[in-house]
Amino acid sequence: MSAVPATLRTALADGVANRHSFWVQVGLMVANDVTWVLFWVLFFDQIGTLRGWQMRDVIVLFSILLLSAGVALGLFANSRRIGQLAADGSLDETLTLPVSPLPHILSSRIDAANMGDLLFGPALFLVAGHPTPERTAVFLLGALAGSVVLIGFLVACGALTLFVGGRGEQADLGFNAILIFASYPLDLFGGATKVLLFTAVPAAFVTGLPARLVRNFDPASALLLAAVAVAFALLGWGLFTLGMRRYSSGSIWTR
Amino acid sequence: MSAYLGGWQVGFLRTIRSPGDLSVRVGFFAIILLVMSALWSAAVASNGGSIEGYTRAALLWYVFAAQVAVLGVRPRSVEEIGDEIGSGAVAVQMLRPVSVVGMRMSLELGEACARLIVAFAAGALLTWLFAGPPPSLPALALAVPAVLLGCAANIASQHAFGGVAFWLIDAKSSWFFYQKLVFLPGGMLIPLDLLPRGLELISLALPFATMAYVPGRIASGHPDPLLLLWQVAWLAVLTAMAAAVFAAGERRLQVTGG
Repeated sequence: MSAVPATLRTALADGVANRHSFWVQVGLMVANDVTWVLFWVLFFDQIGTLRGWQMRDVIVLFSILLLSAGVALGLFANSRRIGQLAADGSLDETLTLPVSPLPHILSSRIDAANMGDLLFGPALFLVAGHPTPERTAVFLLGALAGSVVLIGFLVACGALTLFVGGRGEQADLGFNAILIFASYPLDLFGGATKVLLFTAVPAAFVTGLPARLVRNFDPASALLLAAVAVAFALLGWGLFTLGMRRYSSGSIWTR
Repeated sequence: MSAYLGGWQVGFLRTIRSPGDLSVRVGFFAIILLVMSALWSAAVASNGGSIEGYTRAALLWYVFAAQVAVLGVRPRSVEEIGDEIGSGAVAVQMLRPVSVVGMRMSLELGEACARLIVAFAAGALLTWLFAGPPPSLPALALAVPAVLLGCAANIASQHAFGGVAFWLIDAKSSWFFYQKLVFLPGGMLIPLDLLPRGLELISLALPFATMAYVPGRIASGHPDPLLLLWQVAWLAVLTAMAAAVFAAGERRLQVTGG
């Protein structure tokens, strides 16, 4: 397990090696995030409230999304590339190492642009999320649970490539779906869509429930969130492990 | 000219023959329509049935056309152009006896046309299901050329923007910034009529409005042919800009040795 922090440190060092490029990408992602904040400001300026959601609630939701996405797509950038790596035969190099494959794959690459989310999310919460010690603690723990759900879901979607083939198209669709649904207040959706968000595309557990906990803490919902995070971590791990039994080498070392 | 038509044809066929990629895009589009339908339905309901003259149906048909026009274009084209320039791969393209930017744009336009056919048909069907019939059928018909022109303007603009990599070398991720210009001042996320007056005027003065706002505005029940003329004018300007940026950049690349 100690290999994971060491691999992550190396990935970080590699990511920031070109400082100028790293900070340009971080800056552009922050500009991207500011645009979304601006959209919500303009939207609520026109609308007022939306099914009980005010602008500050959406800002908290968006901060949680940024922090979760920063962890899942910035720090553990390969979480969304499992399908592509499997299709390319690029898992070979990990299989030659005396470490557990999934943690090594996840921690071996950072994405500079998404590191901007990791920095901007907490900053946005501190500036506009009405932080108190309690709200900040719930924000951090909620975002941590959301990150685990997001990573578990993305790994599970990517691992499907090991069963059904292709180049990870289903993972791309899952990735886009969960990020889009997680960007909007949960109460916008009803019926079958809401069921979907609590099951197959667990966007509700990435942002909706954590944001609700920050607004109004409830121990039962917090326990549910923690249990779902564990379940998705196990789902991702399980599907990847089972899928690896079917993985055929890309013979990448002999090309 | 036949080389560019050939490029268009290659792009079109390449995209039609990639059902995996096409189905992911259509699935992505369906999700966006579902989310936007929920968002704008709730917004209209909390505003007494309309916002700045847009009813629920008008807003959803706006979203449909604006999204189709944007989704038809390769999202990371700016980044890809930057990569090709930064890595020097563009030097190989310069060996061909055709314009680099002309051939790239022909290929991308071919790809966009293939995506548009599928996205327009699937999106119109879904929007009809979510929102009911379009506010005006002539407006929906006029939205077809508007979507095409919006795509073409977007492709030309991405080449003008991406060509900056001839000078910056590292243009990676600048596509994030470009994309947001289409999202907000372009009117993809929110109709420009709903912005504060100052921001609306600035957005209308920029070319991005021709890429999402115009197709959306027309499809929402405003079949104004002048809007198409506005698109054609910006398309000409943006194409000239892309050609000029690449011409200057290619000269620079030759000077520095590629």
